[in-house]
Amino acid sequence: MNRTRNSELGYLKFRHVLAVLCAFAMIFTVAHTSSAELTLKANHDHIKIDFFYHGSSVSVKGTADPGADLVIKIASPDSNQALRKKGKMAGMLWMNVGQLEFEHIPSLYFLTSTRDLEEIITRDEMINQGIGYPALEKSAEITPIENEDEKDRWFGEFVKFKESSHLYNINSGNITVTEKDGRQNFYTLFDWPYQASPGQYTVTVYAVKDNKVTEKAEAKVLVEQVGIVKRLATMAKKNGAFYGIISILAALCAGFGVGMVFRKGGGAH
Amino acid sequence: MYLYLPVALTSINILIPVGLGLGVGLLSGLFGVGGGFLLTPLLIMFGIPATVAAATDSNQIVAASTSGTYAHWKIGNVDFKMGLFLLAGGFVGGLGGVQLIKFLKAMGNADFVIKVTYVLMLGSVGSYMFYESLMSLKKKKTEESKPKKESSFTKFLQSLPFQTRFEKSGVTHSALLPIIFGSFVGILAAIMGVGGGFLMVPVMVYILRMPMHVVVGTSLFQILFNCIEVTFLQAYTNHTVDFILAVLLLLGSTVGAQIGTAFGRKLKGDQLKIILAAIVLVVTVKIVFDLTLSPSLLLAQTGGH
Repeated sequence: MNRTRNSELGYLKFRHVLAVLCAFAMIFTVAHTSSAELTLKANHDHIKIDFFYHGSSVSVKGTADPGADLVIKIASPDSNQALRKKGKMAGMLWMNVGQLEFEHIPSLYFLTSTRDLEEIITRDEMINQGIGYPALEKSAEITPIENEDEKDRWFGEFVKFKESSHLYNINSGNITVTEKDGRQNFYTLFDWPYQASPGQYTVTVYAVKDNKVTEKAEAKVLVEQVGIVKRLATMAKKNGAFYGIISILAALCAGFGVGMVFRKGGGAH
Repeated sequence: MYLYLPVALTSINILIPVGLGLGVGLLSGLFGVGGGFLLTPLLIMFGIPATVAAATDSNQIVAASTSGTYAHWKIGNVDFKMGLFLLAGGFVGGLGGVQLIKFLKAMGNADFVIKVTYVLMLGSVGSYMFYESLMSLKKKKTEESKPKKESSFTKFLQSLPFQTRFEKSGVTHSALLPIIFGSFVGILAAIMGVGGGFLMVPVMVYILRMPMHVVVGTSLFQILFNCIEVTFLQAYTNHTVDFILAVLLLLGSTVGAQIGTAFGRKLKGDQLKIILAAIVLVVTVKIVFDLTLSPSLLLAQTGGH
């Protein structure tokens, strides 16, 4: 009995010590984070979509602790998207066989890192920090599907679809790093696709050491429509009937107008 | 030069829609079809979302068919009376078609039925028109128009009530005939999500026995009204009409329709029919390929056909 009690006491003491150690470690980490000053700036962080917009670029730069690997992510907020799925009917004909709902998943997701993700960070840490496709798959919900295998398969198809629309991309080796005054300056340029819808996007940079994320910093990129583009888009959404009538009248006038021009020019005779 | 499309939310080289519009407008002026069965898939291929492609296409057809109807009217090729009867039928058919889709969806195999109907329709209409116009092109070389025998079908048509004279087309039919066949095309068009010009033209040629040149003008006239209705509904309920894309398309298609009309006058009815039949058959083959070859992507945006 006594021996058991002693060992219980010993265990409790050990837990206390452990807790104190953990607290110290936490304080140390917090202090470390604030002193390390991972900085981040997204240049061209306000992208204006006007009539002649054909995509843009977003440059991200900042400073980090020397020796840390960097992962830079740009993502839209999570949203829900419905897509048609294709399948085989009657054993030979490919056609739409229903819809899949993809929930809690960003519509745009770009990731770049100093080295291959697998070399610098463990899969568990990636999932914890929301880095990479496995993390997206974990937090996403796909309905209706029957099991995890199907989720894997359709998530893979989803990524393929998004990559082909230039809205998802993961690569490595595109971050330029220079060391100066004991700090590490980094710079990278993302091609911003014109397919990306208006909205607010978050740029996150992660400093990674020994397979763990040691620091992270965030910045925002705003993409919005301006001028005529904005006016037309708003009218189409909010004043559909008027927009429809204008579209029809413009088409009728254009049709008649061209008809008159051709009559004068004698093109139809 | 690139322009940004506010509803499609994408950017496009303006030469693409203007060029596509010109091509499709040419077909409209020549054959009296809206060309949606060609243009919508092409727009999707160039990155326009399917729903926006279909809706904007109908807006563009309003312009192309106005231009085409106007050009054909000037040369006396529009039978307004026949057009109105067909329109009335098409309107009723469209309403019925929408109900039929609901029914098919409830049965759970709507897409399969729609795709198979579409392929069979395109294939059989294309083949028949091709064969028939080929035969009559051959015949005309050897003997001039032989008086046609009255078939039992023709006799049956003549026994129907409300016989009406259609002056422009030079035919007498029961008023029920264009209404019934107009609604039949309306049902199929609604199910397949297309304008139905490629079905309406053969109906007018083979069942209503109208001369090919009047068929083209009259078909454009009734397509015009259908597309006004569809454009309004799409803009009002789905907000999927892209005005800028429509303007770019119609820059090409209104001119194309005029050129097509002028060019069509130089061709014989059978020549027009055989070219249209060939185009319909090519599209059929393309769809069959799409259905049987494994797609590279198994997911797609919703909407479209």
